[in-house]
Amino acid sequence: MTKGEARRRDVRHRPAAPLFFLAPALIIVFAVLIYPICFSIVVSLFDWPLSAGAGERHFVGFGNYVDLSADPEFWNSVKLQLGFIFIAIPIELLLGFAAALLLNREFFGAKIVRTLLLLPVFFLPILSGMTWRFMLQPRYGPLNALLISLGVPEMTWLGNPLMAYVAVIVQDIWRMWPFMFMLLYAALTNIPAEMLEAAEIDGAGFWRRLRSITVPMLVPTMLTGLLLRIIDALRVFSEVYVMTEGGPGNATLLFSLYTQRQAFSYQKVGMASAMAIFLLILSIVFAVTLVRKNMSLDVLEEKAGG
Amino acid sequence: MKRTALVALIALVVLAGLGAQTINALFWDDAYPRALMEMIPEFEKATGYKVNIEILQPPQVFTKTSVAVTKDSTDYDLVCVDEGNIPLFASLFETYDKWPAGKKYPKLDPKTVTPAMLDVAMWDGKLVGLPINGNLYVWMTRKDLIENAQYKKDFKAKYKYDLGVPQTYQQMLEMGTFFNEKGISAGFGPFNGGPAGVFGEAIFMWSGFGTTFIDQSSGKPKVTLDEKKGAEAMEFYKKLMAISPKGAETMAHAERQAAYAADPKGIFSMFIWPAQIAGYEDPDKSLVAGKIVYSAPPAGPNGKRYAMRGTWAVNIPLASKNKAAAAEFVYWWGSRDIAMRLVEKNTVPARTDALTDPKWASKPWLAAIADSMKSAAARPRFKEVAQVQDIVKKYWIMGITGQMPCADAVKSIVKETNDVLAKAGY
Repeated sequence: MTKGEARRRDVRHRPAAPLFFLAPALIIVFAVLIYPICFSIVVSLFDWPLSAGAGERHFVGFGNYVDLSADPEFWNSVKLQLGFIFIAIPIELLLGFAAALLLNREFFGAKIVRTLLLLPVFFLPILSGMTWRFMLQPRYGPLNALLISLGVPEMTWLGNPLMAYVAVIVQDIWRMWPFMFMLLYAALTNIPAEMLEAAEIDGAGFWRRLRSITVPMLVPTMLTGLLLRIIDALRVFSEVYVMTEGGPGNATLLFSLYTQRQAFSYQKVGMASAMAIFLLILSIVFAVTLVRKNMSLDVLEEKAGG
Repeated sequence: MKRTALVALIALVVLAGLGAQTINALFWDDAYPRALMEMIPEFEKATGYKVNIEILQPPQVFTKTSVAVTKDSTDYDLVCVDEGNIPLFASLFETYDKWPAGKKYPKLDPKTVTPAMLDVAMWDGKLVGLPINGNLYVWMTRKDLIENAQYKKDFKAKYKYDLGVPQTYQQMLEMGTFFNEKGISAGFGPFNGGPAGVFGEAIFMWSGFGTTFIDQSSGKPKVTLDEKKGAEAMEFYKKLMAISPKGAETMAHAERQAAYAADPKGIFSMFIWPAQIAGYEDPDKSLVAGKIVYSAPPAGPNGKRYAMRGTWAVNIPLASKNKAAAAEFVYWWGSRDIAMRLVEKNTVPARTDALTDPKWASKPWLAAIADSMKSAAARPRFKEVAQVQDIVKKYWIMGITGQMPCADAVKSIVKETNDVLAKAGY
């Protein structure tokens, strides 16, 4: 019997038990991940009205994708979404990192301070959006009351396209920077104190230790945090919806809001599915870039000086 | 023994529950359906039917209806539909002439519905439901301001006519400017909230300036907006924005109510949907309760008044297996007795006899509603209207807030609306 024949015989006689034990997990993965994605791809190839009253479904091939590529509102929403990600998340990372460094020591009430800093993360996004909408109101909003008390004229924050976009981003930073703080603080406490002490004895100052030890050791956590936040930020919806509904004009019509509008206002589920597939591809690009290029063991070891 | 008795009791309760026929209804959330809900136990007691109500904000009612009602299946036996969405769902509803006769409550004669409201539920020449509330623009003007002797004197000296309820757009602007300039109150309360509401404001202004946005007389929507008049109307609204409270760019109903009824300065004059009047006339919530004059909307430069309509119809899906019970519920809801009790609670049903009953002299808005109904005006209705509403909202707000010239905003509205209609195959 040749080696090949022996291998084939082994495969044929391999016990089915592992497959049997894997089956529940595979079924669940198929049901909650693979099937919805496949279904979305199929729907995106149809003119698929949400309501039966809006007409019949019919196959349009890549028609929805072609229409999207020619839709200026679609590209505007992509631009706004990417702007949101590339502005908000780096600021959240910086704030979280700075706070983690500051609070990585023991002082009276340290635990309480660290706990209180985490509070915004536990806010429901919709409540956060409503609270910010209220705070930014002219006449009775606390922020404008503060401006008036300082002798500055009150502003209609959410009525100005640029200010509304900034407000949406600031709201997200306020709510989510403690998430970065939480991750980075946990990682900071895991850096061996001996390593930092040794560097200090060798004459390394604060900045040198930060550059050569702390930051490289935190890179995996930072990348994990960035990836989680990017995925989360790509789906941001409810807080922006209650703050601005995408307005004024379409100044804050982020990708998710436009997708919702296509599906539920315009009844175009096929178009919304095409947008969902585009978002999926965008997420995969982000994930692959961050995970494959920066989170492989070799790269991490290299960055950590291993 | 005790255990057997308990099991028997539970079985009886379950059987009784199964025995009661349940009507599943989807309502929109405002004071009117909430007032009705308090009375529903009486209907349940009288008929033995159980009414299971889901009450949602209007956009969610639209979404839920879209998903839950088809020709072959439905989660609801009754759904309430805002008039703008009737074209979309009409083919999924039983026409009113096929609704079963009532066993306890007689089938309602559609003529009991105020004529201005009846065509809300008409589509393709058929009545596909029953209009159930009387919602259209009514104008609110601050009585305490227009009756103030000093203000009257000062206003007459400046404008050479009497201060009062504004009868034209121009008077509304001048009176509003008078109060705004003196810092007495804001002059106007715009609506810049959801797309349907902004669409209503745009149609109100364009109509008053003598131009029709979309003509549907041929059965197909066709853009007929005169761009010059359209831009003039937008410019005029921009002037009204200048005398509106801070934050007018994003004012929806909650902000308008806060500015009109909770701000000590308040607003001189603006439209209101009758469904919201209860909140303005509640002394616990409003600083202006009892201080408001209600009237029909002012007339535009073309001399005509346009009271924009925003009425809901109640409909029975074709797929409902419970049509008789659902119809019985609507006949009860639309009966004179219930309508009168709903008026008593400061809400506005669609029945003419309940709205015009002399008993309601203490509710001055009812006379104003009756007056407004003489000039009821509808927003264009077709299946793709949501896309057009978004286009109008986007450019209307950009125009009236100075983000782009009004003429360009109107051009963009016309162009993009034509694109939507062309793509829809009209």
